[in-house]
Amino acid sequence: MAVSGFEGFEKRLELHFFGDDPTVMDQLDGHKKNKGLLGLRLLDFDSLQLVLRAVQCTVVSAVGNHYFDSYVLSESSLFVYPGKIIIKTCGTTQLLKSVRPLIHHARHLGLSLSSVRYTRGNFIFPESQPFPHTSFKEEVVYLEDSLPKGLRFRKASVMPSKTLTHSWHVFTASTDIDLGDVFTIEICMTELDKASAGKFFRRPADGKSGDSAGKDMTEATGIGSISPSALICDFAFDPCGYSMNGIDGDRYSTIHVTPEDGYSYASFETVASRGDDVARVLKKVAQVFRPATMSVSTTSASREVWGRVASALEPLGLKRRSCAVDEFPATGTVVYQTFSNRRK
Amino acid sequence: MAEQNQVVGCHTQESWLDHFQKGKDSKKLVVVDFTASWCGPCRFIAPILTDLAKKWTDVTFLKVDVDELKEVAEEWKIDAMPTLLFLKEGKVVDKIVGARKEELLAKVEKHAVVAAA
Repeated sequence: MAVSGFEGFEKRLELHFFGDDPTVMDQLDGHKKNKGLLGLRLLDFDSLQLVLRAVQCTVVSAVGNHYFDSYVLSESSLFVYPGKIIIKTCGTTQLLKSVRPLIHHARHLGLSLSSVRYTRGNFIFPESQPFPHTSFKEEVVYLEDSLPKGLRFRKASVMPSKTLTHSWHVFTASTDIDLGDVFTIEICMTELDKASAGKFFRRPADGKSGDSAGKDMTEATGIGSISPSALICDFAFDPCGYSMNGIDGDRYSTIHVTPEDGYSYASFETVASRGDDVARVLKKVAQVFRPATMSVSTTSASREVWGRVASALEPLGLKRRSCAVDEFPATGTVVYQTFSNRRK
Repeated sequence: MAEQNQVVGCHTQESWLDHFQKGKDSKKLVVVDFTASWCGPCRFIAPILTDLAKKWTDVTFLKVDVDELKEVAEEWKIDAMPTLLFLKEGKVVDKIVGARKEELLAKVEKHAVVAAA
């Protein structure tokens, strides 16, 4: 591609930690049960800013509840729980440069890394990516070098689809088997419907702050109804683009939109457990953005969720084009499915 | 007054009620920051509030730790931090949930100007 636009596809990193000291462990466990406090949330804001500077992004807004802290970044999002960090960044950020400093800062809090999961889709403008994101191979080498030896269960895999523009890159490393009962859903959407994408452009000189323009977009697009009980922290960029983090008890959700024609992109991510109505959420997301192509990746201890994805999306005219399944040691099963509408 | 130009921490129920009443009587704008020691986003907004308190000497800035004054946090239904309540004559005129810098600057300006007029 001759002209490069903004890279919507995010890189995503999830790091889990455990306490060396049993009292730290008690605090982390206590937190899960009700409101525990400490762990990684004690990272001081200056350290966090230094990590973000290495990645090349900044905080635009933030909120916390009894379970975790949520940050909307200039390029996507960050979530800090007592025992885990999820950081997702788009554009030409250097996400993997956060791994070493995060391990270092956590160590000062008495926490050691127990698992890592790195995922991303296919960049629209791969030639614009800086080191170490120049290729998946390069990323894996960089990650391997950054990780402690104890994370011995490792695997890197590129999961294909039938569309050349979509594939799913996964790297996992873990010290031990730790399969929780929640699963993560990561959705990447391209070629958004023009009318839907148009709602993420601001009027020139609208006189609003990014916060209030963001709030208006949340309302106008129907994003507010995806998870009605969540508290939403939203932000609209100038002249276009949107980010939001939803917080609902110990669960997060996050949406990022790059609406420009030619490389329009939107992502949605959340965590859920078995009893949750995932189908309703998927439908709402598809209706807000009306993408021509949509990929859905689920990471969980079981394979059970993937069928629900297709049965939610197919009635909306999104036909499943591919489904790839891969097992990751000590992490679980990743199911990667792609859908496209009849316009294609 | 010693407490002017700074964010005043209310550490007891009495001190909170006292400052709340003073604000109510003064008819000035009172901005209350509900915060928690373990909340990262609260640390992000704290220096911004400190600067605002220096600039807007006619506005009272109060700080309440939700663990220290649990009853107060419950009474005002605070479940995310920071929550900023804008009070006039004891009533909530506006509210911001989260560390939203631009919105905070705009709302302090809006309500402070109305209060002064």
